Amino acid sequence: MSEPLLVLDNVTKNYGAIQALRGISFSIGRGEVVALLGDNGAGKSTLVKIIAGGLEPTSGRMLFEGKEFLARSPAEAKAAGIETVYQDLSLCTNVDVVANFFMGREITRKVLGVPVLDERAMEAVVGKALANAGTRIPSLRTKVEHLSGGQRQAIELNRFVHWGGKLVLLDEPFAALGVEQTRRGLDMIRQVASQGIGVVIITHIMQQAFQVADRIVVIRQGVVAGDVARNKTSPDAVINMITGETLAGAGPAGREQ
Amino acid sequence: MSPRTRHSLELVLDNLVWFMLVFVLAVFSIFIPNFAQLGIFANIIEASSVLGVMSIGLALVIIAGHMDLSVESVAALSAMAVGIMFCSSGIGLGLQLHPDWLMVPVSLAIALAVGAVIGVINGFLIVRLKMSAFIITLASYIWVRGLVLVVSGGRSAQDLAPAIRWFGIQRLTGLPLTAWIAIGCFGAFSLILAKTPFGRHLVMIGGNETATFRAGIRVNRNLIIAFVLAGAIAGLAGWLLAIRTSGATANLGVGLLFNAFAAVVIGGVSLKGGVGTLPGVYAGVLLLSAINTAINLMGLPANFTQVIHGLLVLAAVLLDAFKQTIRQKLA
Repeated sequence: MSEPLLVLDNVTKNYGAIQALRGISFSIGRGEVVALLGDNGAGKSTLVKIIAGGLEPTSGRMLFEGKEFLARSPAEAKAAGIETVYQDLSLCTNVDVVANFFMGREITRKVLGVPVLDERAMEAVVGKALANAGTRIPSLRTKVEHLSGGQRQAIELNRFVHWGGKLVLLDEPFAALGVEQTRRGLDMIRQVASQGIGVVIITHIMQQAFQVADRIVVIRQGVVAGDVARNKTSPDAVINMITGETLAGAGPAGREQ
Repeated sequence: MSPRTRHSLELVLDNLVWFMLVFVLAVFSIFIPNFAQLGIFANIIEASSVLGVMSIGLALVIIAGHMDLSVESVAALSAMAVGIMFCSSGIGLGLQLHPDWLMVPVSLAIALAVGAVIGVINGFLIVRLKMSAFIITLASYIWVRGLVLVVSGGRSAQDLAPAIRWFGIQRLTGLPLTAWIAIGCFGAFSLILAKTPFGRHLVMIGGNETATFRAGIRVNRNLIIAFVLAGAIAGLAGWLLAIRTSGATANLGVGLLFNAFAAVVIGGVSLKGGVGTLPGVYAGVLLLSAINTAINLMGLPANFTQVIHGLLVLAAVLLDAFKQTIRQKLA
């Protein structure tokens, strides 16, 4: 593979005396899907937040497209091309579907020098994006609070597919989805990756990881406990890595084992 | 349910307070002698200008999910600052500027600046130091009123410069210019809230602050702007108040805060944030004003006003809950 998209080099995060991340190192290539696995409290969500600009690492460095990278806010990460879907949904339920889709990136036109929301243009874009993804929502002007959990998650997923960027982080994106929607979500991920976008997906479900990922990275107690290509491992081996029964798999693991 | 009926039903729900206003005005017109005349309606609008302007600022921060209890005291301080500088008797210094009209922009700028400064202090403490808006603005409510007492020594300023007073006297199609200022503010801020990215962001911050932060919206900046706006708008309300009373007293505007809250809630703004529109708030203000006028006309003791306002707020909250259940069924 050519130059990796994102490289993490010994990233740590302390909360006071508690070490949430004790030195994480791995990399993601363009168009690659990496499944991030690990037990509860292993540090997966912390890691995602650090990449996405929600948290600052205590030490270590990151290279994004070969350049030193540190996002101090989600806005900076977005500007660099990193999109994130969080496990607790990031929707404003008090506004409609269109407003959520364009949150922070509204299309405007100038009226007397003042930026004014161009609702019609935005609605057209959202209608098209949702139709392409096969998501059906009765009215784009419905407030999100009146939509079901599955519909809400579909909006989030369609949002990241639409905005794309260079790297997408998904923190348990399918928690509220049904079987059919999950299948469609996994297809979306492959489709996004085929456009050359790097994807990191956190999941608890082994089957999903093996369905969609090119590589599987296991985090245990704040370090990388395994970093293997999907076709060179098996669910059982990965489970062993998660629980720590074996240290199977290569990768920069076990610094403090 | 056909899309058409559904659409019209949503329209009614969204503008319920306007229908209430029309209903109340109709009932008063039928049952209260002498109510149905243009002069009375003009009076309702005129009497609501100060309260209306103040409610705009309050509504903005509440919609953004916060609170500003200081608006009443800020208005009083602005009014007192204008009063001390441009009144000619009492504690007024009787400052004269030439030409006379220059006093208008200068006094207005002072009133807005006083409000904006307190807005910055509130906003900074709440957003940067992450303190509760309720406590911080409660403190401002108290210390700013204290400041009014300190600078005035408990005395009052009278006889505001005629050039400024002109706004309260000059009428355009039956309404004094001060009322037009209030209407203009409602128009401008309604558009800002509904049609600009800034307004949209305030509503979304009120709905889910974490989500807006993650989406890359500069939440802190937007919130501080909202508090500064609330302060400056309260300053404008103070300027109007000084014009209305042709001066300022140490206890000017006491009790306005609760009327403003009532208007905002009746207007359909949720205290939880993220819900409400400014046209609705204006209807709430007019509704309160219409009821006050009706009480005056009927010759009831003014003390009834407060009881009725309280009941109205209660009714507004109940109505809001009722609207929620209907909407749930619509979805």
